[in-house]
Amino acid sequence: MTAVSPAGAKRAPGRAVTGLAMRQVRRGAGLVIAVTAGMSALVAATYRSTMGSGSRVEALAALAGNPAIRTLFGEPAALDDPGGFTVWRTGTVVAVLVGTWGLLAATRVTRGEEDSGRWDLLLAGRLPMRAVVGRQLVVLAIVMVSTGVAVTVAMVAAGTGLTGAVLHGAGLALLGLFFVGAGVACAQIFASRAAASGAAVALLGLGMVLRMAGDGIGVLAWLRWLSPFGLLELTRPYDTGRWMPLVVLAAAAAAALAGGWAAATGRDLRGGWLSPGTGRAPRMTLLGSVQGFAVRRTLGPVAGWAAGIGAYFLIVGLVAVSLTGFLTDNPEFADLAARAGFGGLGSVEGYAATLFALLAMPVGGFVTTRITTVATDERDRRFALLLAGPVTRWRAGGAEVTAAAGGAVLLTVVAGLATWAGTGLAGAHLRISAALGGAVNVLPVALLSLGAAVIALGVVPRAAGWIGGVPTVGGFLLLVTADSTGAPEWVGALSPFAHLAPVPAEGVSWTGTAVMAILAAVLCAAGLAAFARRDVRT
Amino acid sequence: MSATALRTDKLSKSYGRLRALVDLDLSVTPGEVFGFLGPNGAGKSTTIRLLLGLARPTGGRAWIFDTDAADVAAAHRLLAHVPADVALWPQLTGAEILELLGRTGPGVDAGYRDELIERFSLDPGRPARTYSTGNRQKVALIAAFATRAPLLILDEPTSGLDPLMEREFRRAVGEARERGQTVFLSSHQLAEVEAVCDRVAILRAGQLVDVATVAGLRRLHRTEVEVGYTGTAPDLDAVPGVQGLETVGAGRLRFALTGPPAAALRALATADVSSLAVREPTLEEIFLAYYGEASR
Repeated sequence: MTAVSPAGAKRAPGRAVTGLAMRQVRRGAGLVIAVTAGMSALVAATYRSTMGSGSRVEALAALAGNPAIRTLFGEPAALDDPGGFTVWRTGTVVAVLVGTWGLLAATRVTRGEEDSGRWDLLLAGRLPMRAVVGRQLVVLAIVMVSTGVAVTVAMVAAGTGLTGAVLHGAGLALLGLFFVGAGVACAQIFASRAAASGAAVALLGLGMVLRMAGDGIGVLAWLRWLSPFGLLELTRPYDTGRWMPLVVLAAAAAAALAGGWAAATGRDLRGGWLSPGTGRAPRMTLLGSVQGFAVRRTLGPVAGWAAGIGAYFLIVGLVAVSLTGFLTDNPEFADLAARAGFGGLGSVEGYAATLFALLAMPVGGFVTTRITTVATDERDRRFALLLAGPVTRWRAGGAEVTAAAGGAVLLTVVAGLATWAGTGLAGAHLRISAALGGAVNVLPVALLSLGAAVIALGVVPRAAGWIGGVPTVGGFLLLVTADSTGAPEWVGALSPFAHLAPVPAEGVSWTGTAVMAILAAVLCAAGLAAFARRDVRT
Repeated sequence: MSATALRTDKLSKSYGRLRALVDLDLSVTPGEVFGFLGPNGAGKSTTIRLLLGLARPTGGRAWIFDTDAADVAAAHRLLAHVPADVALWPQLTGAEILELLGRTGPGVDAGYRDELIERFSLDPGRPARTYSTGNRQKVALIAAFATRAPLLILDEPTSGLDPLMEREFRRAVGEARERGQTVFLSSHQLAEVEAVCDRVAILRAGQLVDVATVAGLRRLHRTEVEVGYTGTAPDLDAVPGVQGLETVGAGRLRFALTGPPAAALRALATADVSSLAVREPTLEEIFLAYYGEASR
């Protein structure tokens, strides 16, 4: 696109902004596209070797009616087709990955840039805010469309049907577009990046919860029409292949993108549509020490994450009622499930254990964001103010690390209590000790994320977010991929999840727990040591 | 009491091949207000980062009083700092930030802090997000001046302040000096440095060029003299220290004088001098002379 440029301007200003937008997202975009397309192709291509035996497919098909499985991965469709199996096995994970990256990237390149003051400079140029936001949207939209195309191409290349591949790829792209639009809209509404990202993540969580409730509880199946994840599932690629949900998803994505773009007009730079007040009485609690301040800064995020995690695991607990009913009606299920590689799903405890494993990801995400906050504070020079006081970096960094670890413990307890409350309401009778034990059991995996993020803080603070996600999100993706492709055992064993016992269905794996906890502690200590030794970046 | 408030010994910092600071030897006497000058990129902020232990020297050492600057837990009990570009926690109000910095810092005089809030006319009830550059700077300045730390390290603390606040700043520096606090002031505001500093160090391209009192710096530099006379012009041609002699009108001479003025005054005494104007160079002119050498 070329604009009419005033004399002397060799390049249209818009193109420079587009170039900037591309530079800001290209690395993450490349990784997301590679992971989504790679994972889809890998699972589809190895389908014949992993699912070759008819009995395994049959066993899997029997899983279709199990509410636990449906809650986890969505409603299975066409499991006898490599494409259908791949969509079912990887669809939710990939969709969450694409959606989360899309909304976080959107808030980062819009509100994050604005927060940091860089837009003061950018918008002093010839482009108005709406044009800059528009160009950021276009670039992110291109990334999402590319993701869809890459997944489609990967699926076709892996030998699956064209229509299903197009439907799946288009669905993923539209879901990504929806969350990009939602992220940008939140970035216009809220005047800080943390609030905007939090609101957008909450929206994604709500979408997941609606999808889960719709899948897990029969009478609520219509809820899926209200969730991007539910709509994605309703397209049923490689099966009946419905286009109507795709149309609804497209309309939602278009509305989100248009809304986000339109909301970028008529507001102040560095302000939002919801700007908090400009004055208030001081709240002096927890300002007395560096440790206290770290706790104070962690409380808000803990409350937000706890609300999301609590709601999710309450649903998980509530869904257990349909599981118990299913188990009574299908006594042979446990055996079938075990044959399909889902051993342990034959009981409420097994179901809870399987879902608790997922808890490591949001808790890992929480601790990672706490450490990226330290990196951001350092980069934005706030941290230097504290460090000018008689405080070593060991103490200042350690305060944040311990506050994050404490928050992680709290979040697992909330998840355990929510599950217990949900199962209690549903009459599924999961003991409170079992629920708490199962939830707290995943803590070492989440703490590995903390360790990884702290190492990154000490060595490459810019990459703390990505590196912090490796043990949990990376480990989960690795295990799912390894499980579904029949990879050698050692590949799956690289994932921390492989060393997590399914508590409360089984006892705690103390060796795995101890090794992971010690590793996490060593990583934290080494990261803090590196942080204390290096120059503070400004 | 230690003999120096701040001392560096061959303090050096390299970033890869860039030598940001080379063998800096500096010593600041307790109780003095010490100006730290230099063009952009001369190494002033690097020096301050090394003094604060925020960066590690590639060579040499620094002491805050008798404490190694690398031992921040001990050294930072003796100092307060105002960074060049103040960034605050956007969601905390000014009062909350002052509380945080006061309680994690080297100790605070709450009464004096409240007085400074009045004098700098800061609204402490607003969240930092809504503060302008100047207001953020005021928060950091109030936090630093309200401490009883014996050393204040200020990095371009007034770049965002209006003239009224600038005056308050100078008053606060004066009060700190009266209390016996040492002030290490890095600044581009030469009038400010001239007004408040006892001694000045000039840094250029990572190296120390000069350390002297402001008056001492003047002595090293050219004083401009303009003379009115009647009758014969005084003969200044062969007088040592006189340069750039020119006639600026009928019965008026102008020349630049370097070094002791005795010889020039003797030469002038031989003529019938009707007026004499001596203008000492401003710090800005001295400074520009140093800059000029760098750019030449």
